[in-house]
Amino acid sequence: MIIAVTSAFGLLVAGLLLHLMRRDHLHVSHGVGWSVAIALSALLGFAPGIFDHLAQSLGVSYAPILGVSIAIAALLIKALISDIESTRLRVRQQRLIQRMALLEADLSELTGKKETGD
Amino acid sequence: MPSKPSHPATTSELGRGAVIIPALNEEAVVAAVVTSIIDAVALPVWVIDDNSTDDTAHIAATAGARVIRLRSKLGAWGAVQTGLREALRADLDFVVTMDSDGQHLASDIPHLIDAMARDKADIVIGSCPERGSPLRKIAWSLMRFASGLECRDMTSGFRVLNRNAIQPLASAKASQLDFQDIGVLLILEQAGCRIAEHPVKMRSRTNGKSRIFRSWSAVIFYMMQTLLLGATKRRRRRRYLAPNPSRGDH
Repeated sequence: MIIAVTSAFGLLVAGLLLHLMRRDHLHVSHGVGWSVAIALSALLGFAPGIFDHLAQSLGVSYAPILGVSIAIAALLIKALISDIESTRLRVRQQRLIQRMALLEADLSELTGKKETGD
Repeated sequence: MPSKPSHPATTSELGRGAVIIPALNEEAVVAAVVTSIIDAVALPVWVIDDNSTDDTAHIAATAGARVIRLRSKLGAWGAVQTGLREALRADLDFVVTMDSDGQHLASDIPHLIDAMARDKADIVIGSCPERGSPLRKIAWSLMRFASGLECRDMTSGFRVLNRNAIQPLASAKASQLDFQDIGVLLILEQAGCRIAEHPVKMRSRTNGKSRIFRSWSAVIFYMMQTLLLGATKRRRRRRYLAPNPSRGDH
């Protein structure tokens, strides 16, 4: 039963990912990383026994916690990368807004247009 | 951005300068602030309107200021930095930054400019630690402890900066800052700038509320952010000019 649930979940997320990229809600560069993650989760969904072998070889007595730990670490790294990217975009956006304000001020002075507050 | 300033700055002993005022919804007081500066010093006044929803921009322009209008709200520091970038573009030698709520007195501007020339500082902070509530003073102590900075009034927006200080603060690195206190001073310290303070008087705010001290949750977030910034960016050596009692400094 658990195999059916994890497999269905993996396929569902894969379908959602394709839908988001098709509708341009998700850039294809982000889609690459997610595709790999989903392919791995689908693989583990169809063949959860892989984790049992992996846990055994690593000396982890309770196999499911290995999967949970790896998933948490992967999500943490992904969240950090997102925040780094967000910081970069925020700085770029701020500087563009500033630059636009300066150019608009130049333009209004060149055309003699008074500040209207619009 | 190659462009010529259409509002030439006035020459003083420090060279050519301008007064930068970040403003957000200050229509009730901005005209009085601009007028008081024009009456006090021969410097052009640039009001950086932080996307106000009221008539601040129009009123400031009518009062005689040059208005630079941001199309999206960037906060007080983002607005000040816009003015600093314009100062570099206009090749100014120094700028004065002031709040738009009437707390700072234009009559103190010449004293700050004198202090900069006398102390050979790159930034002079108009300092008024007396204005803080006991809670705010505790916050300042924590900020000093976290950052290693020795300024008595780190949150004052009343400052004079020369080109050495304007340059690093106009950079993309400084665009990451949300506030114009510890982060700004640490960037200046890292750039090798000399920081000085000069005592000034400040009036109580007559209009609106502090953007930082508007609620407990905002204060807690601000303090956590500021202390973390201070702790992560602090340096061992600093170039700080302590207020000199022999000059009557606090």
